[in-house]
Amino acid sequence: MSQLKIPSGRKLRLAAFLAVMGPGVIAGLSDDDPAGITTYSQLGAQYGYRMLWTLVVSIIALIIFQDLGARIGVVTRQGLIGLVRQKYGARAGSFSAVALILANLGTMTAEFAGVAAAGQLFGVSRYVTVPITGFFISALVLRGTFKKAERVFFILSAVFISYVIAGFMAHPHWGSAFHGMVVPSMPFNRDAINIATATLGTTLAPWGLAFIQSYAVDKRLTKADLTLLRADVWVGSALTGIIGFFVIITCAATLNHEHITNITDASQAANALQPLAGALAKDIFAVGIIGAALLAASILPLSTAYSVSDLTGSPAALDDKFRDAPLFYMTFAAITIVAGGLIMIPGISLITILISSQVLNAILLLPLLAYMYGIARDKKLMGEYVAGKRSLLLYGLIIAVIAICVLAQFWFIFNL
Amino acid sequence: MKRPSVAPINTVAKRLVGRSDLLISRKSVRESLVSLAGLIGRPVMDPDGREIGKLVDVVVRHGEETYPPVSGLIVKIANHKSFINGARISQLTPSSITLSSTKINLEPFSRRAGESLLDADVLDHQIVDVDGLRVVRTSDLYLAPFNKEVRVVGVDISFVSFLRRLFPGSLSRRPTPDHVIDWASVASLTDSTGVVRTSGTRAALSQLRPADLADLIEDLAGREQGAFVEMLDPELAADALEEMEDDELEGLLRGLSPETSADILSLMEPDESAEVLRDLEDSHRESILSAMESSTAKELRKLVSFDEELAGGIMTTHILVVKATDTVADALQLLVMNMERENSDGVVVVDGKGKLLDHIQILELIAADPKSVLTELIAKPYPTAVTAETPLAEVVEEFSNNRGSSIIVIDEKNKPIGRILADDLVDALSQNRGLFSQGGGTRS
Repeated sequence: MSQLKIPSGRKLRLAAFLAVMGPGVIAGLSDDDPAGITTYSQLGAQYGYRMLWTLVVSIIALIIFQDLGARIGVVTRQGLIGLVRQKYGARAGSFSAVALILANLGTMTAEFAGVAAAGQLFGVSRYVTVPITGFFISALVLRGTFKKAERVFFILSAVFISYVIAGFMAHPHWGSAFHGMVVPSMPFNRDAINIATATLGTTLAPWGLAFIQSYAVDKRLTKADLTLLRADVWVGSALTGIIGFFVIITCAATLNHEHITNITDASQAANALQPLAGALAKDIFAVGIIGAALLAASILPLSTAYSVSDLTGSPAALDDKFRDAPLFYMTFAAITIVAGGLIMIPGISLITILISSQVLNAILLLPLLAYMYGIARDKKLMGEYVAGKRSLLLYGLIIAVIAICVLAQFWFIFNL
Repeated sequence: MKRPSVAPINTVAKRLVGRSDLLISRKSVRESLVSLAGLIGRPVMDPDGREIGKLVDVVVRHGEETYPPVSGLIVKIANHKSFINGARISQLTPSSITLSSTKINLEPFSRRAGESLLDADVLDHQIVDVDGLRVVRTSDLYLAPFNKEVRVVGVDISFVSFLRRLFPGSLSRRPTPDHVIDWASVASLTDSTGVVRTSGTRAALSQLRPADLADLIEDLAGREQGAFVEMLDPELAADALEEMEDDELEGLLRGLSPETSADILSLMEPDESAEVLRDLEDSHRESILSAMESSTAKELRKLVSFDEELAGGIMTTHILVVKATDTVADALQLLVMNMERENSDGVVVVDGKGKLLDHIQILELIAADPKSVLTELIAKPYPTAVTAETPLAEVVEEFSNNRGSSIIVIDEKNKPIGRILADDLVDALSQNRGLFSQGGGTRS
């Protein structure tokens, strides 16, 4: 990760910021991972412009909670899971760790699904692409050559900016898009709730929250760095929102317009890029998916392993030996192997995995956000940065929205 | 980040258990251990076995005693939290507490200085394992009756004990004494009222190498970090802080009181202190400097004002100056008085007006007749001297030309004001390069 290293006082503020492209931007761009792109594509294809407002809500939630995560990390200098253990005890700490692990496992599976789907666009079997990706990522991260590779992935995933151009070229109905952004409406059925929940879950991903906080702790950022870190979070979130917005309107203007309302494989999603790229649409889509998948897949197991060792009290790192941090490396391996293994189950639908993993994210977000809420209002932990009444109301409101989506989800599951 | 290699936790525990002076190694204590984590939420009863309420927290008093005694219990009685004096405890079992009398004074709890709450402040919080050289979280604390009072005798930092707490019922309360570390060998860092000081810890910490101590400090979270540094002996803290990364040190100073910062920075090598101070915000720097002794503050102010790219910015002002008319014995005595400082490898000799004449190595002084006057020792090679405004590049050149281990810095009147050692130069150069090549660890 690029170092968020701020020369104190006078020098180089702007330069530092540009050099940073820090954790907020990384977390933001990784939100536009295969699961994110697929979820947004489905939202646009299925409901046109109508449900754009769910993205707006998700982005607001993302900004607010990433900002809170950054603040908690800087002020308490502890990771989320360790802090939950400290404040709420052993059971709560373990529960939050399990929630995070499950969510991350789901998302990691989705990253592999993205790679597999991209491979299939070129007729390469997932039994080839998934194991290779698993080994490649592990080797990169464990050998520590991850930093350079990270930039490459970052650039590859930036291919998704092509959605912005494609969006304009597809001649979307801007009026409807604006209406969809500000006027909340949705059909009350299982599919709509499902995609709305997935949109929340993919945008405000649990791992992103844990990541931003552990980043602040690990890089030993101080209160003086907070302004810059928050700016980074805002920029990253805005970027996620912009790309998400264009993915949705591109799909609304192309797929939905052509009555392709249910994406069942990646080539359909790739078709949305045709107005821009014509025959190359498939290739651009595949490159973007692979870049974004690798970027997220290289951070996810690491972030999970960090959180697990945070639970035990002594956060481990890559420069620890296996003997000193067995739990760290075992978590890393388990996440990678289990996620890869799930994708190898014959006949499993990749699109289903991509979207349902994000619904799972939303469900598991609830306890994590509730703990963050509790930490934010704890004067002893947060000191002068303790959340005021209005902030707490806002946090509560977002948690309530997610809870309503999840409850509606369960209601449909058990009533149909 | 560099980490000391760490012995597995159970070896640490065993090593401690084997030491006979520790309480945990006594059989009677080991057999009466009560798990604090298991005890929280359990009934508190009167002598007839009737439940009065549920245990919320245990208050301990820490001070001179190695094993802090329980000064009271916080008990939830009919939805109110009340404080019950610790002297009322008549029986302590892993699943309940029995009080000695039916009559109890229920007082609302208010924290007193020197007390801490074991569940709210210590359990699951960060703690420094002095023997294992690392920061961990407390998985459990153990209470046992000893010397007429119930005391905290041990702490458990093992993951096994943490997992045990996840089980329901009595399984979660069963002590796992194999992993207990005696309270005498830990430093717990808690809360608003102050640090838990154990008499053994300070001594144990002073045995650590400054670099290891610096690593420990860096591993702690904000408030714990400040608390830990404040409990260290200032001399030791200064040594450790010299080993820390600049950014880290800056962050640490923000969490310390100006007085503590001033104490520690005064004890560090002046060039190192100046380097840190230079990076602080103006108001913060001023608050620290004004808490210092005026002579030290004056010296540091001058150093801070020099640019890091110039000789003055990296020199140390700690030089031992003697007059040419002094004797060899005088010079040696001065060296002995300053033997703690890194710079005590020789003396700077000046004439009656304070102008630089020579730098005489300690070896030369030892070889000479103690009664002889220093003038006799002044000879070639004369030391290389630069002014405070000399750019770093020229300093480097001077170093490589004369191959000495140090350069004297003089003012415009040729009076010595400081000295640059080879290692100061190495620090300065590696730092400059670091601006461009610094790579953080990829821990995310």
